[in-house]
Amino acid sequence: MKVFFPKKEAFGWTLTEAAADGAIPSDYSYAVVPPKKLIFPQEEIFFEFQQTADEGLQLRETLPELPPQVIVGVRPCDGRAVAALDQVFSGSFEDPYYWRRRRATILVGLACNTPPSNNCFCSSLEGSPSSEEGLDVLLTDLGDRYYVRGLTEKGKELIRAQSSLFSDPTEEEKKLRNKISQEGAQKIKRHLEAARELPPKLKTMFDSPFWEEAALSCIRCGICTYLCPTCHCFDINDETRALAPLKGRRVRTWDTCQFPDFTMHSSGHNPRPNKAARLRQRLLHKFLYFVELYDRFQCVGCGRCLDLCPVGIDIIEVLSKARNHGA
Amino acid sequence: MVSEDKLREEVKKLLQEGKIKYFIGYENGGPGWLARPAFIQQPEAVSRLIWSPGCVHNLTRFLQDEKRRRAREKNPDLRPVGLIVKGCDSRAINVLLQEKYIERKDVYLIGVSCELLGVVDEAKITRRLYPAKPLQVRFGAKETILVLTDQGEREIAASEVLADRCLECPANFPLVADIVLGEKINRPNPQPYQSIASFEAKSLEERWAFWQEQFSRCLRCYACRSVCPMCYCDECVADSIVYAVSADTTAEEKAQKVKWVERNPEPQENIFYHLVRAIHLAGRCVDCGECERVCPVGLPLRLLNKKLEKEAKALFGYEVGLDANSPPLISCFRDNDPQDFIR
Amino acid sequence: MEHNVYLPRIGQIVEVKEEVKGARPIKSFRVQLLDGPIFPFRCGQCAMLSVFGKGESMISISSSPLQTDYLQFSVLKMGRVTSALHEMEPGDLIGVRGPYGNGFPVEKWKGKNIVFIGGGIGLAPIWSVLQTTLLQRADYGELCLIYGARTSHDLVFRQELTDLKAQIPVHLSIDVAEPGWSEFVGFVPQNVLDKKPSAVNSIAVTCGPPIMIKFVIMALKDLGFEDSQIYTTVENKMKCGIGKCGRCNIGHHYVCKDGPVYSWAELKQLPQEY
Repeated sequence: MKVFFPKKEAFGWTLTEAAADGAIPSDYSYAVVPPKKLIFPQEEIFFEFQQTADEGLQLRETLPELPPQVIVGVRPCDGRAVAALDQVFSGSFEDPYYWRRRRATILVGLACNTPPSNNCFCSSLEGSPSSEEGLDVLLTDLGDRYYVRGLTEKGKELIRAQSSLFSDPTEEEKKLRNKISQEGAQKIKRHLEAARELPPKLKTMFDSPFWEEAALSCIRCGICTYLCPTCHCFDINDETRALAPLKGRRVRTWDTCQFPDFTMHSSGHNPRPNKAARLRQRLLHKFLYFVELYDRFQCVGCGRCLDLCPVGIDIIEVLSKARNHGA
Repeated sequence: MVSEDKLREEVKKLLQEGKIKYFIGYENGGPGWLARPAFIQQPEAVSRLIWSPGCVHNLTRFLQDEKRRRAREKNPDLRPVGLIVKGCDSRAINVLLQEKYIERKDVYLIGVSCELLGVVDEAKITRRLYPAKPLQVRFGAKETILVLTDQGEREIAASEVLADRCLECPANFPLVADIVLGEKINRPNPQPYQSIASFEAKSLEERWAFWQEQFSRCLRCYACRSVCPMCYCDECVADSIVYAVSADTTAEEKAQKVKWVERNPEPQENIFYHLVRAIHLAGRCVDCGECERVCPVGLPLRLLNKKLEKEAKALFGYEVGLDANSPPLISCFRDNDPQDFIR
Repeated sequence: MEHNVYLPRIGQIVEVKEEVKGARPIKSFRVQLLDGPIFPFRCGQCAMLSVFGKGESMISISSSPLQTDYLQFSVLKMGRVTSALHEMEPGDLIGVRGPYGNGFPVEKWKGKNIVFIGGGIGLAPIWSVLQTTLLQRADYGELCLIYGARTSHDLVFRQELTDLKAQIPVHLSIDVAEPGWSEFVGFVPQNVLDKKPSAVNSIAVTCGPPIMIKFVIMALKDLGFEDSQIYTTVENKMKCGIGKCGRCNIGHHYVCKDGPVYSWAELKQLPQEY
């Protein structure tokens, strides 16, 4: 079993493979790189290929073999994000690489007593600082101990395996936990009002000049998408290691709709030839198309894209303006 | 002191008189952002413009967008773009002029002097004032920075929170500009290359181990390259995110493109990307510090560029961005250039 | 063990035919699968062909599903993968993943007249439907083909087209007059207006360069075709082929999975971003 625990680095927190020795530090905010990295890693080797004169063409599938992994300190927004990714990678074609990792993963969430970021807005998007969706266990920090809820069979089994460490909560503890949950939601500073009005409004705005203005300062890097806990776009490439005999592997890597050549045809034709079209795609995918497919937003309000955008593009501001555009 | 009112007045006049197409400056950012780039097209909108120690961005980066826009349009508006340049940014303009990426008439530059200060490092302010969260910054009276936090206003000594690059900056005053706001004050620079000093003391093995560890974190988001004014190549040799082809590009040309770097983020690919980029920036990087600032996983990229800057000076007496008319470092060879490496 | 959707089956090229030579060559490849019979599929579906070491390319299956000896792919040489494919010969091995996409609703078209309108390589996906309707001739009304290319050298399936003329009306065109060319000279949409196919109880199936499709649809509307009578296939850059990599979407549809076949009535509802 591997355990991933919050670790403080110079630039922020990470979920690092480490022994969990003690409580999660009280100044823990959120992991800069979301837990999706451990279930949908940035590099996944699909298979190796080899072609020799004697044995011909051979493909060696490299499905991930991994021990159970417990990720501790998952914020509820990131838990909901994993639930959204689960939808993407199932359906008529199940993705075996994703699901092997997903089934080996146990998500131990930590409720947010205070918003981890100035820019958190989970409550505007049907989430909350104590949301349980996607998680196996939810911890709430009561000050000197954790209030623990086993949510799934995997989570409950984890608790049962160490039952001597737990005791039934008292009425006082239950009340305190509810109080903390309520206060956590009240402390959220930023809100995206009337989010459910966005999908029908955005549907009318495809050809609007609004996107040109919104995308003026975008430098088309991959930060908003790579650090987003729900973004899942990927690339597949063959990497040749040797030519004769042919040896190599097929690799999946993260990709982003913000890179100019993401949708470029071999002929040079690009359905999204400028930043405005690409910003529009990102926001419409998250707040319209995903809703049309799965009846949920593809944004959990974690605030990372806001915190990390090099030029300060503010998704709450852009969407609020979109919602009121032309009114 | 640089007057924000004077700045707004100047820009308003330029827009009213139609002398510039639009203006690129800074405005207040959202919560948790000290400032951010602003594109001002209407004279009335100049009230958005600010000048504060949070104005860290190198706005010359957006000249790439302008150039690409002109290439796409049938009858492009050829009026200059107006923008604010700090000392470091003005050196970037000089490099772009040297390389003939832009012409002087393409830009109208409002220079601002950093006087005795500079811009702040947001991480330093956040650490210094924790648990209060910084929301906005202003220049204080005497080499101090006023910070508006979510728990009230604080005043701190600038030296504690200025960006590292400002502490070693040799060019706190714009070298090229149409007008300049603020006074020209010679700021002493007693310890240039301070930030690489401790790194240079490491052995080669220690340095290699350091970089292996650092680059294992790189996500190849390419924010460092995307934010750099000098990384303007349509296609980057090290894993391009732009594919410069047209309907006329033959299948053979496309088939023969070499992939020097794979898309995967394994350490050796990451190192290759960063080192190639650093070498391609030798003699061109003005240390605006943006690459390091924007990196979401805190890679110490300035170390690479600063080292090469130091080498360029030591080996060739070359300083970046001082003179738009001098030939670029890598494209000229002088008789007295060192040749001891040629055997 | 569940089948890995990303793992190709190994296919062997059994025949290579040069359709078009020159600067924009097209070759047809007939492929058999090494580990068993070819998979069942529907007209208009595609498969991801792998050239290991180069990558994958999504190519429509141009043979009919009623023909089970091989899968036929007609490939225009465009870039890295297709260039490598064009170097291959019978006996060479490639990867095949599929079938992907929604296919043409040929069952719904029984009893109707069908006008096939193609341009250049666009004839390839239409060929599958055309062959199928010919093999089930009694189930369909009148069939006709209107097909053109830049020059006579860019027309695909030349021999098959000559043979086809004996069975159904075939109206060919090239953009610019050539010595020896006696058929229509002009663009495909102009030929459509010239030949005036009837819209009564008819379906029109069109595929070709985007600009041609646009004008063909306009021509068909002029001739009285309703949006729901006009079908086309859309193309986009693809990688996974199964609607997960996020690349080929038009609105909330993934062209690889929910398309590539759309009626104009359906396509009009989606954002015009392709």
